[in-house]
Amino acid sequence: MNAILALALVLLVMMFIVGGKQGLSNFFALAVNALLMILVVILMASGFNPIIVAIIFGLIILASTIFLSTSQLSVAGPAFVSSLLIMTLLVGLILLTMTLSQTAGFGPEDSEALEGFSVYIGVSFPHILIATTLLGTLGAIAEAAIAVAAGMDEIKDQASATGIKQMGHEIIGTALNTLFFGFFGGFSSLFIWFASLRYPFSQVINNKIFVGELLQVLISVIAVILTVPMTTWVVTTRHAHRRKE
Amino acid sequence: MKYLGKWLIPFVAAIAVFIGMQFDSGFYTKPVGQVEAVKVVKTTNHQDEDQNHDRLIKQQVRVRLLNTAKRGKRITMHNTYSFSGALDNELRVGEQVFLDVDKGAYTLNNVKRDAILAALLVLTFGLIFLVMGRRAWLTSISILLNTVIFFVAVEWEIGSKQWQAWWLFVILAVIFTVLTAVFIVGFKPIAATISLGTLLATAAAVALGYGIMALTNYNGIHFEEVKYATQTPQLLFFGQIVIGSLGAVLDEASDISVAIFQLHDTAKERFRAGMAIGRNVMGPLISVLFMIFIADTFMESVLWIRNNNSIAQTVIWVMGLGFAQSLISAFGIVLAVPVTSGIAAMMAKIKKVTA
Repeated sequence: MNAILALALVLLVMMFIVGGKQGLSNFFALAVNALLMILVVILMASGFNPIIVAIIFGLIILASTIFLSTSQLSVAGPAFVSSLLIMTLLVGLILLTMTLSQTAGFGPEDSEALEGFSVYIGVSFPHILIATTLLGTLGAIAEAAIAVAAGMDEIKDQASATGIKQMGHEIIGTALNTLFFGFFGGFSSLFIWFASLRYPFSQVINNKIFVGELLQVLISVIAVILTVPMTTWVVTTRHAHRRKE
Repeated sequence: MKYLGKWLIPFVAAIAVFIGMQFDSGFYTKPVGQVEAVKVVKTTNHQDEDQNHDRLIKQQVRVRLLNTAKRGKRITMHNTYSFSGALDNELRVGEQVFLDVDKGAYTLNNVKRDAILAALLVLTFGLIFLVMGRRAWLTSISILLNTVIFFVAVEWEIGSKQWQAWWLFVILAVIFTVLTAVFIVGFKPIAATISLGTLLATAAAVALGYGIMALTNYNGIHFEEVKYATQTPQLLFFGQIVIGSLGAVLDEASDISVAIFQLHDTAKERFRAGMAIGRNVMGPLISVLFMIFIADTFMESVLWIRNNNSIAQTVIWVMGLGFAQSLISAFGIVLAVPVTSGIAAMMAKIKKVTA
């Protein structure tokens, strides 16, 4: 039996035991996202513009993540709206950073993995990198937006400014650790590589792969930090409108 | 307006740092130059064995040297880049680059990226301080400490034997966990609950993942695709999972423990409350890690498919490791819910008895 299939089946069982119906729904969202991500790769490889593919699928993935993970419309609605606003900001920030840093494609450390491959494939690697950064960050944005919207929905009108602020701090603190360690895991083999080949510090901070990866972490962190006040703003504005009516 | 002005500060600071670092070439021993003018001299169409059409563009670049004895001198060199840009870059006016020099002839070595990196670091930490206020110090210090420990550990690890490297990952995981937990909640018994829950859940997840993969004979798992493997790729694979999922599991465990410790019910009710909280956070946390791990495989996947590999083959070989990594991390995130709820319920009970 295929090991990945076996791992997925065990996860399904575990999520059902721990999470019941909601666990199943979470697993289903995950499976949908996996299929969507494979579809993204296929579309990019068949010559569609990676940035446009990423934006369209980003919207779909955001919608499926947010609407499948919470059943309350008063939470999912504002979470989705603020995620969309952040995604727009993010596209701008990513375009600017990636243009200035030129970290797309592969570095000299990748040469072994590239052996026997033709790298002149006619698909723009800078565009793929933008797609990678955008889609890689969406999960974190969706999570933060849901957490804020759900928290504010729970306390509703009794929410004090300090209470909301406190909640925002906790959500950002949480996301920081998740993102930081998540990328750190991927970093570890590269760090060991740098250390064993005795790369000087000046070379590390200009290294294509290192800078590229670190910029991705930082962009995700920025996105999450901005998501919190943005969601707060969307929920408050929505409440204010409701009250007027 | 005042409110918006506050948000501009980190951005302005980032731009200032970016501009300031255009003048740091004196710190480098390698020749640094600034591109002053570019001119396309030749464009050729390139077609590879798999009928991929690409364009190769040769540009003539005028560079002004910014450091070394030849400072201020202008040189001309050629740079060839492709439309796809896998291993090459288009040079633009204003950009700074490192140069190789051989018998007076200069060639492009690397793009200078320190300024944009520093600018984004300033922007990120500026925003953290703006949004989080005093708590930002704690978070920043905890991240910084973890980074330093990681670097020291990696330095020390070089040249050690394989089993030592594995223990290094384990010890690192324990230090990271305890340190971060103490930073989140302070030096209290609850930090012990969070650490214990995190470590037990992660250990169980890795053991379970290892067991399942061994039982299926690693069918469909291609460790040879682990990137930058200077050691046994299998070891790096599990090490990456342990470190990579730690943050998510830690956050989940702390959410659960903090909520349970405030309750004054029986252990059973506390356990139930913990499960309810965990159930809500586990889905989004798994999807955060999942997106990071899978999006990371995009570049290579497209390269594979374009090099005439089938989609099935690409998904299995390139994306397979990302999938396996996210699934085993997900084990940890799911297992942390009952494990932490159980420990927190027990600890809260003990505390009550002794109090």
